[in-house]
Amino acid sequence: MSIAQAEATELAIERPVSLSRTALVRLRRNPAAIAGAVIVGLFLLMAVAAPLIAPYGPNESVGGLASTPPGPSAQFWFGLDEQGRDLFSRIVFGARLSLLVGFVAVLVGLSLGLLLGALAGWTGGRTDALVMRSMDLVLAIPPFLLAVGIVTLLGPGVLQVMVAIGLVTVPQFARLLRGSVLAQKESDYVLAGRAIGVPSWRLLLSHVLPNAIGPVIVLATLTMATAIIEVAALSFIGLGPADPSLPEWGRMLAENASRLQNAVHLVLFPGFAVVLLVLGINLVGDGLREALDPKLGR
Amino acid sequence: MTADLVVVEDLQVHFPIRTGALLGRTTGAVRAVDGVSLSIRKGETLGLVGESGSGKTTTGRALLRLVEPTGGRVTFDGVDVLALRGEELRKLRRRMQMVFQDPYSSLNPRRNVANLVGEPLRVHGIASGRALDTRVTELLDLVGLPRNAGARYPHEFSGGQRQRIGLARAVALDPDLVVADEPVSALDVSIQAQILNLLGDLQQRLDLTYLFIAHDLAVVRHVADRIAVMYLGTIVELATAPALVGRPLHPYSRALLSAVPIPDPRVEAVRERIILRGDIPSPAAPPPGCRFHTRCPFRQATRCDTEIPALREVRPGHTVACHWAEEIEAGRIRPAQPAAALAADG
Ligand SMILES: Nc1ncnc2c1ncn2[C@@H]1O[C@H](COP(=O)(O)OP(=O)(O)OP(=O)(O)O)[C@@H](O)[C@H]1O
Ligand code: SF4
Ligand SMILES: [Mg+2]
Repeated sequence: MSIAQAEATELAIERPVSLSRTALVRLRRNPAAIAGAVIVGLFLLMAVAAPLIAPYGPNESVGGLASTPPGPSAQFWFGLDEQGRDLFSRIVFGARLSLLVGFVAVLVGLSLGLLLGALAGWTGGRTDALVMRSMDLVLAIPPFLLAVGIVTLLGPGVLQVMVAIGLVTVPQFARLLRGSVLAQKESDYVLAGRAIGVPSWRLLLSHVLPNAIGPVIVLATLTMATAIIEVAALSFIGLGPADPSLPEWGRMLAENASRLQNAVHLVLFPGFAVVLLVLGINLVGDGLREALDPKLGR
Repeated sequence: MTADLVVVEDLQVHFPIRTGALLGRTTGAVRAVDGVSLSIRKGETLGLVGESGSGKTTTGRALLRLVEPTGGRVTFDGVDVLALRGEELRKLRRRMQMVFQDPYSSLNPRRNVANLVGEPLRVHGIASGRALDTRVTELLDLVGLPRNAGARYPHEFSGGQRQRIGLARAVALDPDLVVADEPVSALDVSIQAQILNLLGDLQQRLDLTYLFIAHDLAVVRHVADRIAVMYLGTIVELATAPALVGRPLHPYSRALLSAVPIPDPRVEAVRERIILRGDIPSPAAPPPGCRFHTRCPFRQATRCDTEIPALREVRPGHTVACHWAEEIEAGRIRPAQPAAALAADG
């Protein structure tokens, strides 16, 4: 909108809207993001209401042992596994763990990353150099190897896995936020804040961070997708959550990888669950990226 | 009226040039401001003009300690500004404010107008609650914004209206000095006059002193009491507005002035046109001697490229930094080439 046009616009016409609200409106106009939100929503529902949705318990043997587990049928939608457990029920319960891991891992990575990134970007100088050099060091290690290393160090267990996966993402969050903070730091409104005497910490917390956090939120959603894949991958190589009674998509994949010939459903459905959830989260993330970008206009 | 509110002596702002991304070695310095001396009198508007990159913004920001000067002195109402630390400095900020060139980037997009305008009052603990609301409404009135503007967000306003928001915020603390950094150059021409009028109005009502920064003389000649001309980090001429516009002494001032069209067609027809060749040199490696000598049409074989001209008072209240100011004014030194030729090869 040109200045002249804007000047002509009568003030009273527009209702006051905050930027976060416009972002939400924009998100609602994005069909892909809506599809993503619906997918994620369904998985969330599955996780929360698993006992109501799943026809059987996750560890309930309903078909008895079988060397060639039966495939999908009207009674067992996704078929049974070699221990006679209903695969659909196991996948429904598995959503709990995957979502929990994704969420907690992101929380760990996000909070530490925010702290370090904000510190480095805002303080600058030696602190910045120190923090970012250490982040570079961590980034030099392949993330999955690092996660494997941390799990080996911390020992097996759901919490350990979540922390390991989260820690690996810290440098990404720190880097992104640092850059974002640096860009904001040079901006006029921050200078204006200093000119009117806003204390530095307050300037950071109440002006800079809210403006710098957009890309980080996007990264958080994308990281959540990666975390879900990683926990599956850790399980696949036998470093996942230790408790074997926990239905976990990655472990289902791993345990049944050798049965690809005679029971393809055992690999297909857990794999499909991972892919679908990750896709849903990514769609929401992409939608958020667009919605939060102030450069795209209203 | 003649008391000085701000005295700047030999102000320097050198930005280190570093190689390497983080904490690399310092390999030189951008001398953005390199020995600026001037004073701003209580209640006046001092215009500061110069090409892009001459260091005007940096000078204005250094006065307010928004960038750290690397040398010199700044005295504000008798207080040594550069010696202040922490809380003392924050207190002084109540008395000196800034208006920004870009009314889009200088307002936090996530804050509504009431919040933006009220923030200075809140952070200095001057008003809160009902009193704050009342004061914000007063300020909106003062700058000619509707009262219901408070609940809106910056993106709902035009450039001119945003500049009003910026002004309301700048005067919220009832400051003495306002540094206005090209406050109208980002605005539509039709809106510029409104904002200039508002600036004049506020100055009258609130006893403000302005440092008014602009890149050419077109606007400044009308709003400033005195004008300082800046070139490559230094002041080359300082005089009252009528003296500077009527009898500019520095070749650079003449060039700036010759770029401003004159409404009277007869005057316009015979107006001296000096078109400067080339770009402003890099402030990282300013030319020796007179900094203007690489582009000066009056440049002489002696002194110009070897000896730095001091800022000297040629007439009462009219200072200039050119070795040959008197000779040039008297017509004893002519431009090296006719103006037309200069224009042609530029
Ligand atoms: N933070 C900085 N770091 C390094 N160099 C800088 C910095 N700020 C300004 N400069 C340099 O200092 C010089 C003067 O810049 P300044 O912005 O003060 O000029 P100006 O006269 O305001 O120009 P304009 O009309 O474009 O606003 C320029 O060469 C600029 O590149
Ligand atoms: S000192 Fe020489 S080069 Fe500098 S402005 Fe005067 S005449 Fe031009
Ligand atoms: Mg500038």
